[in-house]
Amino acid sequence: MCGIVGFLDKSGNRQAAVGQTLLDMLSALDRRGPDSSGVAVYADRGADACVLRIKLGEHGPFETLADAVVERVKSLVSVSAVDVQGPSLRLVATPPENPESLERAIEAAGSSVEVVSLGNRLELVKQVGSPANLEATYAVSSYVGTHGIGHTRMSTESRVDLSHSQPFWAHGRADVAVVHNGHITNYHKMRRIYEQQGHRFYTGNDSEIIGLYLADRMAQGASFSDALQTSLTDFDGAFSYLAASEDSLGYVKDPFAFKPLVVTDTPAYVAIATEEQALRSALGDDFPVWEPGVNTVMTWTVERGVGS
Amino acid sequence: MKDIDCTDKTSRVVNQEIRQHIQAGETELRVHHPQARHNLGVAILQPVNLTMTGSVGYYCGGLIDGARIEVQGSCGWGLAESMLSGTVIVNQNAGNSAAASIRGGTVVVRGSASSRAGIAIKGGTLIVQGNSGYMTGFMMQKGTIIVCGDTAEALGDSMYEGRIFVGGRISDLGNDAVIEEVTDQDRSFLTTTLAEYDIEAPAAFQKIVSGRRLWQFDKKDFDTWREAL
Repeated sequence: MCGIVGFLDKSGNRQAAVGQTLLDMLSALDRRGPDSSGVAVYADRGADACVLRIKLGEHGPFETLADAVVERVKSLVSVSAVDVQGPSLRLVATPPENPESLERAIEAAGSSVEVVSLGNRLELVKQVGSPANLEATYAVSSYVGTHGIGHTRMSTESRVDLSHSQPFWAHGRADVAVVHNGHITNYHKMRRIYEQQGHRFYTGNDSEIIGLYLADRMAQGASFSDALQTSLTDFDGAFSYLAASEDSLGYVKDPFAFKPLVVTDTPAYVAIATEEQALRSALGDDFPVWEPGVNTVMTWTVERGVGS
Repeated sequence: MKDIDCTDKTSRVVNQEIRQHIQAGETELRVHHPQARHNLGVAILQPVNLTMTGSVGYYCGGLIDGARIEVQGSCGWGLAESMLSGTVIVNQNAGNSAAASIRGGTVVVRGSASSRAGIAIKGGTLIVQGNSGYMTGFMMQKGTIIVCGDTAEALGDSMYEGRIFVGGRISDLGNDAVIEEVTDQDRSFLTTTLAEYDIEAPAAFQKIVSGRRLWQFDKKDFDTWREAL
């Protein structure tokens, strides 16, 4: 079933309680996705910051792998912070000239190593377990920023593990992340084409291809919002998904309106969730909501802001 | 009049409290802080009045027979699904499939309804004061849908019988849905029905019914089918 949530502060507050809000919304959708959960939060982390979240493996111990990864990263960029939380290695580095080469170098450290997110403003954490477990591991309630997305997972077709949980970072495109509820039914056909073009897939989860598609379109010059728009015709299936970039949040509703999505757009914030329950329990009763129609895309932007 | 507070309660517990009050003879109930919970007020078979002083989730008022439910906020999917008789009113917007499969009674959405409003309705009346979404009236069997505002793609797709009245703009007709002349009888029915819910009728309505070309399949009608589909 899955539950997706998104939040964007419109008041200009660069340290809005995005993590807390996403956590509250996800907790209300817990029963839609008992397998895994995750959030992606966007905040000012410094003009020259590249934040990396790296999965070291599914099962520990992780110390040797962590050291190996850090060594490889240091050979390409300067590293200012290193932090290991469970299977997740967090690094803050200077931006690489070639993010793809950095990603390849990191993943060469071990077959279980995967770059879970890379970005100037993006911080992405996810794992098997409930939103409460996610909070226990990462204290996401303390994450502040401008906007973010989150996900609770009920696996329908692929494995239950960290790599298969969401949000999915759009590998190769800094800061872009996606959460999805539904099925991309032409996934296998599209995957073959992307693999022939040299793209790597990390899971058998159809949701992964959304971010890859957006990154590919944006690499060809499409804007974030145009890429969301063309996905309506390029994807087949039932899908409500949210995508976020360093300064934007958007939703896409499929041509059949098969997957629920509820939106509120107030002067203070935008909040989007699979069910209204998430909005009410996180944000109260004082705003109206609507369910978007078929084939709709809407995006919101925050000011890029200067890093601290 | 009895008040029920949903805070820290599951839908099941709230519904049990509703039933207990009704059994004790209460006819007026107010349900507070529903916060979009699902399945509230389902299968109430007595002519009681329920007011939800907030938003409800999916299937509010489903399977009721004779009750009157007013939702002060918005609702999710499947409002009043399969209602036999009664009245369900939502003051804000409705999610997908409002009044799905109802057999009788009246559903009023004062805001706008989303996709598949009135899907497969078998009797009764759905009134949407605002706009109504994709595939409104899909596979409608009997009954009446009245949309005061605009309708979206595929209106009345694959209707059997029943009729849809639209006061605003029809952007697109569904498979085998056709426009028919509105009669004087229709007009007085619309004025009376909308007045009952304090809705000002738009200046004029269009009427949509089934074109009946998809009712039976005969090999020689294949071209009709191909065109319709």
